[in-house]
Amino acid sequence: MIQAQPTEPQPSTLADPNSRSTEFRAVEGGGETTSAGALLVAAYVLMWGLVLGFLLLSWRRQGRVEIRISELEKALATGGDKASPRD
Amino acid sequence: MTGKHSTKDKVFYPLLAVTLAIFVYLIAYVFFATPVAQLQAGGLAQKIFYFHVPAAYAMYLCGAVCCVASALYLYSPTDTRDAVARAGADCAVVFGAMVLGSGPLWAKKAWGVYWTWDPRLTTTLLSVLVFVSVVVLRAFAGNGEAERKFAAALGVLGTVNLPIIHYAVLMWGGNHPTVITKTGGGLRHPAMSHALLVGFVAMTLLAALLVWARSRLAVADARVARLEEQAIASGKLDF
Repeated sequence: MIQAQPTEPQPSTLADPNSRSTEFRAVEGGGETTSAGALLVAAYVLMWGLVLGFLLLSWRRQGRVEIRISELEKALATGGDKASPRD
Repeated sequence: MTGKHSTKDKVFYPLLAVTLAIFVYLIAYVFFATPVAQLQAGGLAQKIFYFHVPAAYAMYLCGAVCCVASALYLYSPTDTRDAVARAGADCAVVFGAMVLGSGPLWAKKAWGVYWTWDPRLTTTLLSVLVFVSVVVLRAFAGNGEAERKFAAALGVLGTVNLPIIHYAVLMWGGNHPTVITKTGGGLRHPAMSHALLVGFVAMTLLAALLVWARSRLAVADARVARLEEQAIASGKLDF
């Protein structure tokens, strides 16, 4: 019985830790059979979403804190109105 | 501190522009110039590597900032040291989330599963959880001296774990790739090495900017707390 031999190394399995990659080398084509492109795009969207979300939240909070500082400084100044409690 | 056009802003915004330009170049280079790696390494998904590894490095940097500032705070407490420690922990969590989010997507292609209790993955998760605990503690446990010191101690503890992550593969094996080594590494194409190098530069700049911006916010938060104390003491604010 003749068995077909794989032409490209298959992804390593968790049962074989010694088969982990020790180098990355360029190959032609790549022999993709599953959605590596989708995984790649998902990873980039996730990473940039995290950074942009973090920046947006920080920016909004910085704005609120600066307003709060102005309110408190105004209230503490002589004759200033009473400041409202924090939200 | 909160002035619109301070000297710091004159450095911050040009640095931000440079960082954005480098990231645009990096993304284009990774997608159009770096070759696809062998299927064993994830094929096309291996391109996650050029952001995944620099993000892990940025997490180390932010953790180191948190550790140093926390240790200095424990030695001699100041609002600025507390703010920088807090900012370091915040940014370490963000970069840690980037690492823990992108890694499983790459692993799905390279290993066939999203997650495995590989030594490096497990120690990374543990370290990020320590920094999450610092962030949660500072967000919900108040701004008292005891809470600050406890968070600072946790910040030092979280950073002590970082070298263990780095050497976990060497000490305990596992599936995680070991392409970056002292003997020159296993990136077998010049474009791969170039993309990784640019990735390190870009993430270093991003980490510096985020820690800087977050430190300013934490300092402003501390100022609000002090002003509120003054306002309550002088009857200008209801407790």
